[in-house]
Amino acid sequence: MTSRRLFLLGSAVLLALCACKWDLWGIVTRPNVEDRVRENLSGDPPAPGPVAVKPDSFRFAVFGDPQIQHDNVNRLGKFKQEVAARSIDFFCALGDLTNDATGDEVDSIKSDLDRVGIPYYATIGNHDLFQADGWERFKQNYGPSCYSVVIAGRIKLIFLDTADGTVGPTQFDWLETELQDSAHVKIVLTHFPVYDGDKPMMWRLASDAERVKVQGLLEKYGAYAWCAGHTHGLRHMQVGAVQHFTCGAMAPDGVGLDYGNPGFLLFTFVRDSLSWQFVELN
Amino acid sequence: MKRLLTLVVLFAATARAAVVGSAAIGYRGEPGVESEMQAVLQADITPVRFFKVDAGLSLNLFQNNGLGAAHLGLAAEVYSPAHLTLRLAGQHQQWTDWQAGENRLLVVFEAGPLYGLDAGAGLVRRVPVFGDRYSSPLVWSSDAAEWNFLYRLRWKFIQRENWWIRAGLSSYDRFTAHNPQQFPLEADGAYRLRDGLELAGLVSTAIVGYSGGLASFHDLDLSVGVRHDF
Repeated sequence: MTSRRLFLLGSAVLLALCACKWDLWGIVTRPNVEDRVRENLSGDPPAPGPVAVKPDSFRFAVFGDPQIQHDNVNRLGKFKQEVAARSIDFFCALGDLTNDATGDEVDSIKSDLDRVGIPYYATIGNHDLFQADGWERFKQNYGPSCYSVVIAGRIKLIFLDTADGTVGPTQFDWLETELQDSAHVKIVLTHFPVYDGDKPMMWRLASDAERVKVQGLLEKYGAYAWCAGHTHGLRHMQVGAVQHFTCGAMAPDGVGLDYGNPGFLLFTFVRDSLSWQFVELN
Repeated sequence: MKRLLTLVVLFAATARAAVVGSAAIGYRGEPGVESEMQAVLQADITPVRFFKVDAGLSLNLFQNNGLGAAHLGLAAEVYSPAHLTLRLAGQHQQWTDWQAGENRLLVVFEAGPLYGLDAGAGLVRRVPVFGDRYSSPLVWSSDAAEWNFLYRLRWKFIQRENWWIRAGLSSYDRFTAHNPQQFPLEADGAYRLRDGLELAGLVSTAIVGYSGGLASFHDLDLSVGVRHDF
């Protein structure tokens, strides 16, 4: 390659980086997962409390990736219709709430999530950190990115912060402590999947050893499921006794990774029995 | 696996095999995941020209104690001018503390070194095994099995009479096959102590999160040892 071609290629890469909406310096200097988790576990911001549901019968939806952009298009309007039709009590949003984490996007998605009209929980995704103040804005709007909550004294939802593509030492210890609870059905909800089909793809949790350790802990302490977003689409795998879900995206067509149809995962709890189904949103 | 071992022994016994053996100690650390010392033994046997057999064992100390990984590989040079080699390898890695293991089958085309550069590309079938059978290298089906791409590009940028240094990226080695969502960087080198004996060292790390636009250095591998040409 001639030096002229190298120069042109370098210039094109630089221009592309300058043109994107991400705050590249902010991405480099942002708090990493270890910083965020320590802040979360200090109790400030406080973790959200349990929503009020009928103790023997409730439904909740799980999805990821509304990935809202400047045009404010997403599928939350359609989701609101499903909430009414299926009597959904609350929902969980698994990160990538915005595409570029700009102030406008952050404000828009908060309004849209609120407009669904039922309680919800959220955790953070990698796209929510694409501006220097991404973490500050997230916790102002939604609270911590790593916390647990027990619903109706039956189901423990454990929200993990995997926005960096890794769990981190402090959060691993915390996760193991949370999983040791044998009194509840335990569901882990986070952004990155651990297992998600057998195709070669680079969007799963990072290292081999880390994935194996996560699965080992889930098995050891009898977790019911790992629910994730990030790769868009509705997929289910059972590894050992643990259910692994990719829970669907609320993003409009053509945004990000499109490995499947948009939609959400619906859990139904009736008289000590938990069941699930995928609901497509076209 | 037993048949392959038999083949290795037969080749070594019946041909004038060139054998390179190495022994090393090392450290592997990954924040929040594992931190352990390792002892590694390897042998490269060339029973006939254009054909090589390699095998190795890695033992863990202080975490996931005992056998850490094992491998057995066969390589055949298919195009001499570019040193193009087809490599088939089986790997078994295990983590005793989590009752977890992984068996892998690698198929890789490697080329070089040419002008100090060597490259590789291929596929790995990854078969995680959990529970009672985690330590078996004979389990080749799993609910969590998956395909991954493998790649390598390294440059030996300093080559002197008694020593050399190489740097680059490699998503696989004898005992591991990184996931594609890790971006692995490494540097290694060797110093000739005397004829047929080298002091060798390696340092490597991996960047994680880059696939999501956020990158951080993650694990650290260090090893130092000796390599003997028999």
